[in-house]
Amino acid sequence: MASINVNGVEIEIDEDGFIQDPDKWNEDVAKFLAKGEGVEEMGDDHWKVVNYLRDYYLKFQIAPMIRKLCKETGFSLKYIYELFPSGPAKGACKIAGLPKPTGCV
Amino acid sequence: MPEYKGMAQPVKATVEDLKKLRLVPVPDEKKVEEAIRLLDEARKKFRSFVLAMESCVKCGLCAENCHAYLGTRDPHNIPTNRAELIRKVYKRYFTLEGRWFGKLVGAEDLTLDTLEQWYSYFYQCTECRRCGSVCPFGIDTCEVTMIARQILYWLGMVPKLHVGGGWGIERVGNQTNVAKPAIVDTLEFLSEEIKDEFGVDVRFPVDEEADILYVPSSADYMLNPYTLMGAAMFFTYIGAKWTIPSFMSEAGNFGLLFDQRHLMRHLFMRLHDSAVNLGVKKIVWGECGHGWRAWKMYLPYFVDRPLRWEITHLHDEVAYYIRTNQLKLDPTRNSQPVTLHDPCNYVRACSPAGPYGHTENMRTIIRAVTVDFREMYPNREKNFCCGGGSAVLFDDPEMYQKRIQFSQTKADQIRATGVGKDGNGILCAPCSICKAQFYPMVEEHELGVTVHGLIDLVGKALVWK
Repeated sequence: MASINVNGVEIEIDEDGFIQDPDKWNEDVAKFLAKGEGVEEMGDDHWKVVNYLRDYYLKFQIAPMIRKLCKETGFSLKYIYELFPSGPAKGACKIAGLPKPTGCV
Repeated sequence: MPEYKGMAQPVKATVEDLKKLRLVPVPDEKKVEEAIRLLDEARKKFRSFVLAMESCVKCGLCAENCHAYLGTRDPHNIPTNRAELIRKVYKRYFTLEGRWFGKLVGAEDLTLDTLEQWYSYFYQCTECRRCGSVCPFGIDTCEVTMIARQILYWLGMVPKLHVGGGWGIERVGNQTNVAKPAIVDTLEFLSEEIKDEFGVDVRFPVDEEADILYVPSSADYMLNPYTLMGAAMFFTYIGAKWTIPSFMSEAGNFGLLFDQRHLMRHLFMRLHDSAVNLGVKKIVWGECGHGWRAWKMYLPYFVDRPLRWEITHLHDEVAYYIRTNQLKLDPTRNSQPVTLHDPCNYVRACSPAGPYGHTENMRTIIRAVTVDFREMYPNREKNFCCGGGSAVLFDDPEMYQKRIQFSQTKADQIRATGVGKDGNGILCAPCSICKAQFYPMVEEHELGVTVHGLIDLVGKALVWK
């Protein structure tokens, strides 16, 4: 399996670049993953989305409904796409260290 | 990456992924032998498969009726040619002329390359059955795809996406991996949303004793808020005692798509047990096409015990209430131009005909809740697939490009209705896979429409006392 190296720590990723062990996530990992999703600089709004996803995931082991993400961050879906060009599920969730969404999504 | 000798392939599940479903992949050196054995088993068991193998006269009618071929112009996507990938092997091992004359009669040895070819092309078929509905011999190529996918799965060749869904089914009872705490949290959130937007109090009872067991698609918890809201508003409006089961929280059934023998039955029993435990009288199904096919057409024959409950589709329920004038609806609340995409599994796979069948029921509903409904052509049982059927929802670059091509015919149909001309059209696609396919595809094809379920529009049109 492929891996990335962030600050000397090897972290396994799957074929789509999602990290395999959510416990290995930290802010530096997020910054590293962000570059691969077309996000050069993680600004406050990026962190607001990523931190919300992260907190929700730690509590519920799944990403929130997209409508809830928009409501809780106060951002429109359009704006979230501007922040994360690859979208909330495959971009923002990946940066937040969540597993790849599965099923009819 | 997901390509094998020039053929696009979905990302495969790894050995670790398969282990979660307790499946041990067959080693490469034994794959061919095992595949032949499984093929032999399939032909002795399924007459539909033998019909497809022995009766095709290559008239070619299926070619122009397949959206995958129309979109890609790849000859292997002509349904009979896709089946030929198995037929040539069938001939070689199970017919006299094939054993004696080999290539002269189109028979071919099975090799690992052929298996990789199966994996590529049987995941480019969306199991929509349009070819089956036009075949003069009644050959249903979907059945061939199903057998190919089952064999490939047992060999260990299966998309990561499908196995991920399968693992979710075994772990928490749905393909999206939404466990009960997240289900309850999401539904509480939607209760507040309904209050904010429509000003009515609507609860989502979970795991309560009730008369009606409502089974939504688990994708609704991620992507389709109005589908959940519409269903809850309808049940509340008619005063039903209803509940959503958390143990069996999936209207879909990925088992139908790659593992009918075990996974599909696993979910069947989860439904059976939920119905017993919650003491329900009736089961109502949410918006999911392939799932509805599994539950309506396969469940009675696959479930381990006799069924004691009537199982209906939510659309059939709503249509009944509309026909009997029990719903007050204001169609002007959905005033945009709207067209309806018929999910293939509703209209071609579930005996939906007749004035009160599912196909017409969808129209009864849409006419009652919108003001500017325009049919796309062809429609009903002749409709084309969205291009994502059977969860061909892969997002790796090669397969994503295929999805764009697979949806080309559908995009042309939608554009011809003119609903998106002013950029405010509605594409009603009452199935979770169709929705998941259309959300990005209406952007790729710049169709000027937003995607909604049918029950979404009902929820918005309900007039409360």
